[in-house]
Amino acid sequence: MNGSVLSMLSLAHGPAPALAAAASPLQPALFLTLEIGAVLAIVGMMLCLYRMVRGPHLADRVLSGDTLAYQVVGLVILLTVRMESTTYLDGALVVAIIGFASTLAFSQYIGNLNRRSNA
Amino acid sequence: MTWSLLGDALAIFFALCGMFFMFVGAVGIVRFPDAYNRLHASSKCSTLGVMGLALAAVFHVGTLAVTTKAIMTIVFALVAAPVGSHMLAKAAHLNGLKPWDRQLSDELQQDKERREGKSPCNAPRGMAASPQSRPARRDPGSDPTARISAAV
Repeated sequence: MNGSVLSMLSLAHGPAPALAAAASPLQPALFLTLEIGAVLAIVGMMLCLYRMVRGPHLADRVLSGDTLAYQVVGLVILLTVRMESTTYLDGALVVAIIGFASTLAFSQYIGNLNRRSNA
Repeated sequence: MTWSLLGDALAIFFALCGMFFMFVGAVGIVRFPDAYNRLHASSKCSTLGVMGLALAAVFHVGTLAVTTKAIMTIVFALVAAPVGSHMLAKAAHLNGLKPWDRQLSDELQQDKERREGKSPCNAPRGMAASPQSRPARRDPGSDPTARISAAV
């Protein structure tokens, strides 16, 4: 666990000791899958940031921010599975709601830009 | 033992599906040529990716709190992603963002021009807005898009 990606992300070091008796033989494979998933989510966040920097239109930047919020949701859910903890999933839900609200607000702004410049 | 084995196998499967869609959505954000096409990739990431990862959390942890919150996240993502994509696409079109120059039809633009009473011959782009499109509705010519619209 030390040195893995998900442990660097979490404040609590080490796996949760819960359900230690019920650990299945597939658990190392699942944890390896989660590490690969964390790396893929971080690379995806970098790709979204690239599109946010280089987007030719404002809509490109807004949709890359929306996708970035959902990548963060995915990363937090991966952390939930790894730590077997309940508390991280609240953060996932809050990030999803904030991303949706910001997308709606920015699309209202983009839709009103033309009318405001003409008036 | 058997149930936790089955749950972990299902968790690995759903986590792999969710990771795949998350990463493919992010690659599509970079690689697609147009904001409207990029919205297509973004919707994959936010519905199928989040659903796969949340189902992995359900099958691995399996307590009532995690299951409830994961189902809430899935339902919220399934409701929010199409609404956000639709609003963003319509706002970008209202702002005058030009679609990709190789796309076949822009039906919202056609509707706008028809509502304003303009001739579609003045439409600057797209095969559907070519000068044959309006007469070809009665007589399907060699234009494939006009043939499709006449068949519809």
